[in-house]
Amino acid sequence: MLTYIIVSLLLAVAPLVVRTERASNVISALFFLVQVAAIALVFIFKLQDSVMLSVFRADTMALLFHILMTVVLGFTLVHSSSYLRAEGVSARSYKAYYTLLMLLAVAITCVYYSDNVAMTWVFLEATTICSAGIIYHREFKQSLEATWKYIFVCSTGIAMAYLGILLLSTVAEHGALDYAALKSVIANGNPLYLKVAFLLIVVGYSCKMEIFPLYTVGVDANYAAPAPASAFISTALVNAGFVSIMRIYTLYSGAIEVFEWARHVLILIGVLSLAVGAMFLRRTNNYKRFLSYSTVENMGIVAIGMGIGGVALWAAVFHVVCHTLVKSSMFFQVGIMHHIYDSDSINRLGNYMNINRVGAIGFIVGTLVLLAFPPSPLFVSEVMIFSEIVSVGSWWLLVTMLVLMCVVIYAIWSRTLRLGYHSNQDELHLSAVNRRLSYFAAILVVLAIVLGVWQPEILKSAIDEIVNL
Amino acid sequence: MVLSFIILYVLTLIYLSIADRFSNHTTIIAIQGLLLFGIAMARLHEYHPVELSFIIVETLVFKAIVIPAILLRVIKKTKINRIHSSSTQFGALVMSILALIASCTITYYMADNRTDMIFFGVALYALLSGLILIVLRKRIFAHLVGFLVIENGVFLFSMAIGVELPMLINLAIMLDILISILILGMFLRRMDDDMHTDESDALTSIKD
Repeated sequence: MLTYIIVSLLLAVAPLVVRTERASNVISALFFLVQVAAIALVFIFKLQDSVMLSVFRADTMALLFHILMTVVLGFTLVHSSSYLRAEGVSARSYKAYYTLLMLLAVAITCVYYSDNVAMTWVFLEATTICSAGIIYHREFKQSLEATWKYIFVCSTGIAMAYLGILLLSTVAEHGALDYAALKSVIANGNPLYLKVAFLLIVVGYSCKMEIFPLYTVGVDANYAAPAPASAFISTALVNAGFVSIMRIYTLYSGAIEVFEWARHVLILIGVLSLAVGAMFLRRTNNYKRFLSYSTVENMGIVAIGMGIGGVALWAAVFHVVCHTLVKSSMFFQVGIMHHIYDSDSINRLGNYMNINRVGAIGFIVGTLVLLAFPPSPLFVSEVMIFSEIVSVGSWWLLVTMLVLMCVVIYAIWSRTLRLGYHSNQDELHLSAVNRRLSYFAAILVVLAIVLGVWQPEILKSAIDEIVNL
Repeated sequence: MVLSFIILYVLTLIYLSIADRFSNHTTIIAIQGLLLFGIAMARLHEYHPVELSFIIVETLVFKAIVIPAILLRVIKKTKINRIHSSSTQFGALVMSILALIASCTITYYMADNRTDMIFFGVALYALLSGLILIVLRKRIFAHLVGFLVIENGVFLFSMAIGVELPMLINLAIMLDILISILILGMFLRRMDDDMHTDESDALTSIKD
């Protein structure tokens, strides 16, 4: 693990010392290969579940999300190169972008592998620092505002999470803060401390998972960052938030009384996130914010799944996996659209079907998958969550979710149709139409649809292992 | 000895609610760093060189010298040294006293035999004071001070709980916080340069 971190960090800072943009691209390709090699080595040398440097563990959850991050990273690097060239950024800015993106990837990977409550916190805070530079990359007024809000709210939120960790550590024996050690003694903890700790940690980490209450900074960050970076933030970083909360959730399963309470908190947070997503999906007039609110809505569904437990927990993990593929693809499509229209305004853009048919079909199919129309994998996960809700008899939750999801479907579908078929009101830059990139982004949606039709045994058993509390 | 440091710490928090110059805010942050150093030293059971040097670096060097120096540099560059004229000192003082009463009440009901009640209560008061500063003050610099007060509160809280984390983790936490403050200071100056504003009310250009 130490070798992996050192090599990745060296490659991440290497663009700062090379001269050309081409050299930065080569370094980023090498960085991608290091990620692939690291994952391959874990399987070749059977390092699964082994503890590394006493604070990291290559468990199934870490490996699954590292693989997902690597897939999205590959697409992000290709799309970023094209996006930055089209934006005409300076060589210095180009190299800084790649450095920050790779540093962010290292920090996120460390969050996935962290086997210690405090180290998870440390690396989540590190993601805030790396993300800040990417959010500010376009250097316009709103990006400065978004960056300030992001750093300030994340740092304050994560300071609150640290308080929670301190409260949680009252149960630790000899300062051992690794998840397994804590889980074995958590039942002896003061229930009031454990409840407050859970609340503080979930609220603090909500800025990363983009759920209620600190979701706003994530939405602003995705709006201000370059579209390919938004794809990475909205998936890999959101997954880092999910993994962190999932590890706390697994830890709390050791204290039955408090665990029940914690699950109710997650249901409440999930419903509020879904409500916020539904409300703002109708209001917003920017495609990147639109996709970000869709992330809030989907992560709300995931939180509800975690709160319900049982089959719904399995579905929640599957939902996160598939959401990663679909959402990153849609952000890449928005990046391509941005260069054609030089705008992300929902009310002004249109006629995309005639301007870039491949991109339009990719976006519309992505929307359908996101809205969980069969054969979407999200249909599979949402049906599983609903069936579990019915089996526990929580009818109020079922009705609330269905009403909110109807609002979401209407909001998303009406706006997608507007983009495809309404008349366009903005100036066009048709030279920017890049069908190859549109095809490339669509691969992720196709992958998601494949998962909707056929879930490989290896993925099923991996999720089984993750949800085995 | 520890009790007198704690009482002084509470007084700095009360004074922070009525201080109207940012240079005073910076002085208070530096004094809090010194007090935290005194408290940490007084509570040290044995003088292990590594632990001792870590406490010196974290409290004396970072909290009492480096961070106030960063704040003074921001004040010098932005040339802003007063809280907003519309902010009322009396209202802030009332809120601060209410926060103190709330902290005492919560501590009475929450603290168990594993935690130090006095530290717990003061840490909670520090957290609430930081939040009050962020909510009541309009200038962004005051928000940065509020964040630092919260961080100091978290440090006190770790002493209340009495958890001894491994040195590597402590070091990583300290570096994370220092870098966050450096970046916040950098962006605050950039906002002053590019947006010619230092008030949170001006940060409303991103909306739906």
